[in-house]
Amino acid sequence: MLATGCSAGSGSAASGDEDITLTITTFGTFGYDDLYKEYEELHPNVTIKPTNIDTGGNARTDAFTKLAAGSGLSDIVAIEEGWLGAIMEVSDRFVDLNDFGAQDIKDRWLDWKFEQGTDADGRVIGYGTDIGPTGLCYNGKLFEEAGLPSDRAEVAELFGGADASWDTYFELGAEYTEKTGKAWYDHSGFVWNSMVNQMDEGYYTSDGELNIEGNSEMRDRFDQLAEATLNGQSAAQTAWDWGGGKAFVDGSFATFVCPGWMLGTIKGQLEAGGGDASTGWDFADVFPGGPVNWGGAFLSIPTTSKHQEAAAELTAWLTAPEQQVKQSKAAGNFPSTIEAAETIAEESAPNELFNDAPTGAILAERAKGVKAQFKGPDDSVIQENVFGPALNLLDQQEATADEAWQQAMDLLQDLVIDN
Amino acid sequence: MTATLTPGTTTPPRPSQPRTADRAERRRHWLSRLDVKASPYAYVAPFFILFGLVGLFPLIYTFVVSLYDWDLLKGQGDFVGIANFMSVLQDEYFWNSLFNTLSIFILSSIPQLIAATFIAAILDQNIRAKTFWRMSVLLPYVVTPAAVALIFSNMFSEDYGLINNMLQNFGLDAIGWKTDTFASHIAIATMVNWRWTGYNALILLAAMQSVPRDVHESAALDGAGALRRFFSITLPSIRPTMVFVIITATIGGLQIFVEPRMFDASTAGGAQRQFQTTVLYLWEMAFFRQNFGEASAIAWLLFLIIICFGLINFMLSRTIATAETKVTSTRRQKRLARLRSARSTPATTRSTEDAQ
Repeated sequence: MLATGCSAGSGSAASGDEDITLTITTFGTFGYDDLYKEYEELHPNVTIKPTNIDTGGNARTDAFTKLAAGSGLSDIVAIEEGWLGAIMEVSDRFVDLNDFGAQDIKDRWLDWKFEQGTDADGRVIGYGTDIGPTGLCYNGKLFEEAGLPSDRAEVAELFGGADASWDTYFELGAEYTEKTGKAWYDHSGFVWNSMVNQMDEGYYTSDGELNIEGNSEMRDRFDQLAEATLNGQSAAQTAWDWGGGKAFVDGSFATFVCPGWMLGTIKGQLEAGGGDASTGWDFADVFPGGPVNWGGAFLSIPTTSKHQEAAAELTAWLTAPEQQVKQSKAAGNFPSTIEAAETIAEESAPNELFNDAPTGAILAERAKGVKAQFKGPDDSVIQENVFGPALNLLDQQEATADEAWQQAMDLLQDLVIDN
Repeated sequence: MTATLTPGTTTPPRPSQPRTADRAERRRHWLSRLDVKASPYAYVAPFFILFGLVGLFPLIYTFVVSLYDWDLLKGQGDFVGIANFMSVLQDEYFWNSLFNTLSIFILSSIPQLIAATFIAAILDQNIRAKTFWRMSVLLPYVVTPAAVALIFSNMFSEDYGLINNMLQNFGLDAIGWKTDTFASHIAIATMVNWRWTGYNALILLAAMQSVPRDVHESAALDGAGALRRFFSITLPSIRPTMVFVIITATIGGLQIFVEPRMFDASTAGGAQRQFQTTVLYLWEMAFFRQNFGEASAIAWLLFLIIICFGLINFMLSRTIATAETKVTSTRRQKRLARLRSARSTPATTRSTEDAQ
C-alpha cells in the first residue's frame, strides 16, 4: 500500500517532512473516513481536513460558487460525472495530473473512465473514484405478495436476463400495479435518467451538439415511460427524500434503478426510515435495456491549492485499487480501476442489507459492456430543470405525454438554447 | 466643544511675544477647530468604510456584471448594455417569481404583524412570570431558518407529513402542500410567521413600554375600556416603531430564500416553480444556468423593487402622520376662529352660525 502511494508521486519524495494540512471536499456517501486515518498514519506530517456535502447537487453549487469566486476550493475536490461537462469548460483551473505522474498509473483505470477525466488538450484533471454500473433493486417481499418470484436468479430471468428490455419491465409493472394497486417505481425521473444514459448519445451528440429535438429514439422512450407513469406505475416520490426514507419501508414501490453508489443511498434511507434487512430489498443481476452507466466521480486538484504535489499524492493513493476496494466496502459503490473491480467480483462478499446479495460481484457483472456517454456543459440542467418538471407533471397525472414533452421542449428553449 | 468658545477672546496677536509662542497658539487653535469639525466624521467613518467595502462595492460590482455577458465559471464576456435587464423583464419565470414573492410576503407579513401587535399588547399587561413569557416568544427566532425549514417541510410533506396525516384521519383530502401554488405559499408563510412573529412582538413591546402609564390611567378613569385604550392610545403611540417593523418585514419578505429553498431541496422552488421566489430564481440563474450577467440583473431589479416598496411604505406612513396633524390643526384653527369671531362680533356671527 505504501508502495502504491509513493509510486503515485512524480518520483521525488513528494511532500517531504513539512507539516501540512490537506483539505478535501466530497459529497453523498464516499466511504473515505477510515482511509483518511490510514493515510495520516502512513504520513505523520499530513493532516487531512475532510468536508462532506450531503448531495451532489449541493456539492455542485459549492464548487461552482468557489470557482467563480476564484478562491475557497479545497486542495482536493470531488466532481460528479453529471457536471463534469461544465467543469471541462474551465479545465485550466485544475492541475494537470500529467505533471504528477498520471501517465505512469493510467493503466489502473478502465480506459473510458481515464479519458473522461482528460480534457480536449490532453490535460488530465481528475482521477476516477467510482463508476455507476446499474442493476435492479427490487423488494422480494412485495414481489412474493404479488405472486412474482423473489429469488435473485429467477427475478433476473423474469426480466429477461441478458435480453431484458424496457418493454418487459413496464409489462411486469402493469401486471404488478393491477394486482396490488401499488406503484412499480419510485418516480419517473430516475427511470428516465437510466433510459437516457443507456443511449449511445444522450442529450448531446459525441461532438457536443444538442441532441433532443427531433430525436425520435428519445421521444419513443419518453412516450413509453409516460404511458407507464400515467397508468399508475410511478409512486410520484420526491427524489433524495422519499418521505425521510419511509417510502423504502412502507412498500410504496417494488423496484428501483440502482447504480452502485445508490446502494449507499438506500442504506441511508432505510436507516432514516426505520427499515433494515427484513424490509426485503434485494439486488438482481439484470437491467432493462442492457448495460448502463449512471454517475461516478473524480478527484481533482484546483490550481489554487497550495500543496499540489501532496494533494496529487493523496489523490492517487485514494483512487488506487487497494483503497477503492475498501471504499467500495464502506460506501457500497463500484470501483473504477480494473484490479479493484476484479477483487470485488472474486470476493463476492454478501451484502446483509440486500438479502445477502453479492452486490459487488453483481455490479462487476453489470459493468461489462458499460461505456460512459458524452456529457455536455448543460447536461445536469437538462436532466433536472428541463425534464424534471415535465416528468413531475406526469407523476402528478397532470399532463398527457405530448403535453409533458412539449413542456420539456419549451423549457429547453428557455433555459438552454436561449440562455 | 467649550475650547472653541474661548480662543477668540484670548489670542489677540501681541507683537512683543516671541513668534514661536504665537505659532503654537495658532496651532492649538487650528487643532481644536479641526477636532470639532473632523472628529465626528472620524467616529462615524468605520461604519461607512465597512459599508463601502461590503455594501456599496458589491452593489456597484453587481451592476457592472449585469452589463456583461458573464458566465459563472468562464467569467466576463462581451459588453451587452441593458440586454440582460431586457431579457429578465421579458422572462415569464421572473414575473412568476415576483408573483410568488409578493403572495408569500402578503400571506406572511400581514397576519404576522397583527399577531405580533396583539402578543405585544398581552405581554404589556401586568402578568406573572413576565420574563419567561417574553423569552418564550423570542425562542423561535433563535432556531436557524434551515432547521425550521427542515421541520416544517417534514410536517407539510404530501405523502408522509403530519398535517396531511391528520387531515386524512378526519376523512379530509390531503392537501398538495408542495404541488399546489396557493397551498405551498401558505406552508412557507407559516414558517416565516413562526420565526418572525415573536421577534416583532418584542420590538413592539419595547415601544409599548415607553407609552406613559398615566395616559392609560387617566383614560381608564374617564371610562375607556381596554380595547378602546389599545386602539386610541397604544397603537397611535407606537406608530414610529410600527413603521420600522413594517419596513424591515417588507425587506425581509421580499428577500425570502431559505424557507422555499429547503422546503423542497431537490428543486429550486417546486417542480413547476410553484413557490420559486425571486431570490431563489436568482440563485437558479446563477448556479444552474450559470448566467451570472442575468442573475446580477435580477439582483438589481430586486434591489430597485425593494427600494420602491420602502418608499411607498415611507410615504404612506408620512401621509398618515401628516393627515393626523392636519386634522388636529384644522380643528384647532376652527375653534380659535370661532372664539375670536365670538369675541369681536358676537351677535351677527352667532346668528348666522345658528342659521346655518
